[in-house]
Amino acid sequence: MVKVAIFPPNSLILADLIERKGHEVLALQKAVRKKVKDPDIDSPPMNLTEEDPIKGLKYAAIEVPSGVRGRMSLIGPLIEEAEAAIIVEDAPFGFGCIGCARTNELSIFNLRKRGVPTLELKYPKNKDETTDMVNKINTFLDSLPKSSESSENSEILESSDSPDISSDKEFKEDD
Amino acid sequence: MVENVCINPDLGREDKDPEVVTRMIILGPKANVSESEVVNQMHLLGLPLTIKQTCYGAMVSGKEKDVITAIKEVRKMDPYNIFTKDRGFPPGDPRRCRGHRKGPREGFHQMEKEFKLLGFVSDALKNPKEVSLEEETCVPLEEFEEIMKECLEEENLDKDNIKDKEHSENKNNN
Repeated sequence: MVKVAIFPPNSLILADLIERKGHEVLALQKAVRKKVKDPDIDSPPMNLTEEDPIKGLKYAAIEVPSGVRGRMSLIGPLIEEAEAAIIVEDAPFGFGCIGCARTNELSIFNLRKRGVPTLELKYPKNKDETTDMVNKINTFLDSLPKSSESSENSEILESSDSPDISSDKEFKEDD
Repeated sequence: MVENVCINPDLGREDKDPEVVTRMIILGPKANVSESEVVNQMHLLGLPLTIKQTCYGAMVSGKEKDVITAIKEVRKMDPYNIFTKDRGFPPGDPRRCRGHRKGPREGFHQMEKEFKLLGFVSDALKNPKEVSLEEETCVPLEEFEEIMKECLEEENLDKDNIKDKEHSENKNNN
């Protein structure tokens, strides 16, 4: 099981496809959940505290707007944790909760800079393109190593799933 | 929009428990099950879960192990048309619940966009097949000219050969 970062970081399709293949998705919602359940947050309607932009300084310079740094304080640790990545570019405007173009650029830049196996795709517009995208994602996920100590979560999700489109024998032999 | 920033969430103990996770179950456009069937199925499991029926499917909250078990059971009903994703906020949280807001909740527009592709995604999962994305285009003029020249040359060669043969046959006959 590999930790896969996705872009857009809250995509339903990407997250679902990754979990179907038994990998762990580094979705933005998990980072948000930690914030929501954090008792230290003083002003509950606000997800970000004043400390978050300071944490975001690790990923963006001080001249960068605080909104970008605040977002990067959530997305940055997910990118650092990633062992693989799937990037879908040209998603429709306003896609997801991060409509900030600079954050999107910085996230993609950081994902590419990580040097982990990365699959880059374009947002599909019709049936053929969607089928092609699903095929490419499944092939990419099959090529990632699967550890024997996969969590219960992944085992359960994997058992109810889609047929394999392709498989990488080399990695399976390594297991 | 003043209401949005003034809401006190007043979360319960379960909502503040870090072990409790929330998942959204989203039915694809070609789903053979309804939202209420999904919710009924989850209730029948008898797991300690908070289940909420929604317009897109359901929302389920509880310990991670129970939630994953419930999703596994529900997915058996229609494996290619039931999609799930994590949700950061607990069900009914006034910061996200549409009932307390003056507009669509955050994430609605993204789900709306992705829902348009879910039918294609379920088709691709159900019947995986190779597709060619190369569009058919016109043959470039230069390439066409070259092909025509080659064809004409071949034709001329054939004609010459035929003429030569006829000549040689005539000579032999004489």
